[in-house]
Amino acid sequence: MSRLLSSALSLRRDPRMLKAPPYLSFACILIGLIWLLVLPLDEYSRRTYISENALLPGQVHTYFGGSEQHVFRAYKEEVAALSGKDTHEINNNIEEILKGFGVKVGRQSYTYGAAGGAYSGENVYGILQAPRGDATEAIVLVCPWKTIGGSENRVGVALSLTLARYFKRWSLWSKDIILLFPPEPKVGTQAWVDAYHDAHDPRHVSPLPLKSGALQGALAIDYPDDHHFSTLHIIYDGVNGQLPNLDLINAVGWVAGNQMGIPSFIQGQYNHQNTYQDRLKTMFRGMLSQGLGNVAGAHSSFIPYHVDAVTLQPWGMGHQDEMAMGRVIEGSFRSLNNLLEHLHQSFFFYLLMSRDRFVSIGTYLPSAMLLAANFTIMAIFLWVKSGQAPKTEGDDSKEKSTTLDTSNTVERDMLLPAAIVAGSHALGMIPLFIFNRLPGDVLPHAFAIFSAISIVLPLIVSHLLTSFYKPTVQQSQLTKSFSLLVLGLSLSTLATLNFSLSFIIGLLASPLSFVQPTKSQPLRWAFASLLSLIAPPTIVYTAAVVAGADVGDLLRDASFGWNVLGVYTPVAIWGVWWPAWTVGTVNVLGFAAA
Amino acid sequence: MTFRGKAGIYAIAVLLRLVLFFAFPGLPDLLTGRVEISTPVTSFKRLEEGLFLYNHNVWPYDGGVYHQAPLLLPLFSLLPDSTSWPIFTPLLYILIDLLSADALVKIAASGEAGKSRLYTSPRQGKGSTGLVIAAAFLFNPLTIASCVGRTTSVFTNCAILFAIAKAVQGFSFHAMVALSFASYLSMYPVLLLPPLVLLAYDRRAYQKTSVLKFSALNVLVVAGCLSVLLGMSYALTGNSWEFLARTYGIQLTLTDLTPTVGLWWYFFIEMFDSFRSFFLALFWLHLASYVGGLSIRLRNQPLAALAVLLGIFSIFKPYPSISDTSLFLGLFSLYTHLLPLMRYTYVASATLMYASFLGPAFYHLWIYAGSGNANFFYAITLVWSLGQSLLVSDLTFAVLRDEWEVERPEMVGKEAKQI
Repeated sequence: MSRLLSSALSLRRDPRMLKAPPYLSFACILIGLIWLLVLPLDEYSRRTYISENALLPGQVHTYFGGSEQHVFRAYKEEVAALSGKDTHEINNNIEEILKGFGVKVGRQSYTYGAAGGAYSGENVYGILQAPRGDATEAIVLVCPWKTIGGSENRVGVALSLTLARYFKRWSLWSKDIILLFPPEPKVGTQAWVDAYHDAHDPRHVSPLPLKSGALQGALAIDYPDDHHFSTLHIIYDGVNGQLPNLDLINAVGWVAGNQMGIPSFIQGQYNHQNTYQDRLKTMFRGMLSQGLGNVAGAHSSFIPYHVDAVTLQPWGMGHQDEMAMGRVIEGSFRSLNNLLEHLHQSFFFYLLMSRDRFVSIGTYLPSAMLLAANFTIMAIFLWVKSGQAPKTEGDDSKEKSTTLDTSNTVERDMLLPAAIVAGSHALGMIPLFIFNRLPGDVLPHAFAIFSAISIVLPLIVSHLLTSFYKPTVQQSQLTKSFSLLVLGLSLSTLATLNFSLSFIIGLLASPLSFVQPTKSQPLRWAFASLLSLIAPPTIVYTAAVVAGADVGDLLRDASFGWNVLGVYTPVAIWGVWWPAWTVGTVNVLGFAAA
Repeated sequence: MTFRGKAGIYAIAVLLRLVLFFAFPGLPDLLTGRVEISTPVTSFKRLEEGLFLYNHNVWPYDGGVYHQAPLLLPLFSLLPDSTSWPIFTPLLYILIDLLSADALVKIAASGEAGKSRLYTSPRQGKGSTGLVIAAAFLFNPLTIASCVGRTTSVFTNCAILFAIAKAVQGFSFHAMVALSFASYLSMYPVLLLPPLVLLAYDRRAYQKTSVLKFSALNVLVVAGCLSVLLGMSYALTGNSWEFLARTYGIQLTLTDLTPTVGLWWYFFIEMFDSFRSFFLALFWLHLASYVGGLSIRLRNQPLAALAVLLGIFSIFKPYPSISDTSLFLGLFSLYTHLLPLMRYTYVASATLMYASFLGPAFYHLWIYAGSGNANFFYAITLVWSLGQSLLVSDLTFAVLRDEWEVERPEMVGKEAKQI
């Protein structure tokens, strides 16, 4: 053992060891990327399965149909008559209908402000008290008046009302059923869920007059058009990339597929052929949506409160009618009704490749962690390097390095590097503040000005540095070391909260590990221009163009997410990535080369 | 060290804390609720609960929430009502922080870290100035967080630093009284008695008393002081000794299993009841066993023994918090002249930084998001303890290596191998 230790110690002194870290770091990035790419293969992903035995999906006969169809038609007429009316009138009618079959009704108004605009409205909801329950648990059926696409959710609302009337007649419910009708899918549900958990800001959101027990699950319906459908789109992304328990997606998919014969798909991959490409594409779409962390549907706001929720969206032309959709919801609710405790058995961290294939956190997390580790490896490497005395003579360096000892380390001047890194992180608060506080119509201009400043800032800082401080090689290494250390540890923390966001930022920031000050001036400018290609403002702009959206809309969405939903993606971009990029560029331009 | 520099640092520290207290009104309560800062025996929230009961003439330990020393109650009820006058509690805590920093400055000014009675370090005088040490303590995020989180362990920390400062100044009586206060508040500081007595003895060696006589006298002072404090508490809590079980008893038996950054809670959650008392004894024995060994081994440098012990306590005591770590880091900064001898400072500080980022994230996953479990947070407390133990062992190594190089000058700069 002691021999092993001493040989390990002598290896530490090997000069070759000090050359390895950059390669190791590059290998980390490469392996991290390849790791992600092999995940869709059969060997690395698994088939989904239902872990919670109490769910028993598809084990009960569903009775929705038959004469309910007439009720549905009647409600559809009533809902159609409300088309285009204002929220208050719509809610009056819904309240009347709900009260008509004996459901307690509550209403809640809210006003949020974000990006200079006001988002206000009124929720109406009914609580169907469980005949066999004690009002300690509840499941929610969410039916926004507007769909995700922005059209009126006519069939959805009519179907929800029919289902409510139908559920009321059954005596088997052991959990209360809450029917929530927000005016639109994003703000209304957020206000309602906040108020349900007493986490609302009373200045913007009024409290709920009526409550039930702990929410055990929620389903949202997104069914605008009055036509028969072929498949079911399950939308599951929550705010900040949190996901519902995999059991819920599986249970709903199982009820739809195996009981009703309706195939389901995810992430808009309608034509999923179960090939490698399709799986990869689904996974990437999932990661992108998770990374952005914004609302995907009316269910998203529930997930931060540990209420598992999905949105169901009928898709395509086929022979499935509204009653089939109703039976899917009935079957899923019966399953949720069976639950003895909160969904906890299955995974909360997963990447879905298709409706029935997934990888769990243990399998995919190493890829993001490897990306984050590359920064930490380089940070430690640069720290060690900065502590070595510069070589005086080339010849005796070999002899010297074998007898390298503790007294050979030079003193490090850490004040300037620490100040640069801390300063750039403090500066990151500025874009965070302006993009989340300014009104929507000035956002594109603010973005343009900020991008210009962001490009010029490193030039100014490096000019000041070179003219006043004459920074040394050691200071350059330490600056980079500190910056990469902070980046690495922020990203590895982020990877546990939002894997995709951490992976995307890690990948985009990975060149920062390798750019360094050089003696040749053209190479220096080449590095700088390469860096400006991967600058956060450039990437944000490119992303908006690729997605076919306006930068202003993107920023408005981000501001809305930050102010209303509590999305923290802007912090990761402006508070972690942008400072690291700024320090990286300053390091290339303003420091002496080794 | 000019007075202007010192006053400037203190002024900035006060200003920073006032800004944090009053510009972010939600921050103090947020930090007070964090398990990393508030432990069951130091939480300000629990103190408020005890205070409420005390002010309404209810026995403060009723309800099983308050586990802190009884004398804190009259101190805090002397302050004006915190709802109508919210300024006084922050001011008290800021004052305590300044007193701690001032004690550190005095310890640094004595030069004890570089030159004690029995030992003179070859690196003496290469360390940081008192000003830098005070700044490092006052602007340490851990110190700021525990000040804004209003944990009562800052009183203990201040008393410990005050005791050390008095000891290096040669006022052994004051040092012992301060240590009694610290022990009265948190119990564990009583373990610091042997090295502290040695430190005080070394600084008064000109008086030519024998160690034994000096120690006996000081132990008597501590015992007397503690019995007065406990007697006052006895009278204060309605003439009953029951408070002992509710304060020190909780620490001894770990009946409150609230998570902390330490290693005890998880272990005792998992424990079968039949083994509980055995492992409690073992854990306490482990904690106490360092005192003798370190006092003897580091006899030449009692201040180093105190620093290392405080580091060990902040890892292994029953309810540690980041406030204990900030105390250790404060004393650690006295030994910056040994930094070239330390080997893992970067790795240790990177580990601590990783843990302080990942800890809150994993706690969030466990408690709020519900997607993680207790193992997540416990894993991070292990990393946190690993980082601290790296720092403690590195400090010990550097102190011993420094001594060794004086004994064997031919080995200066050579590789030391552990056999």
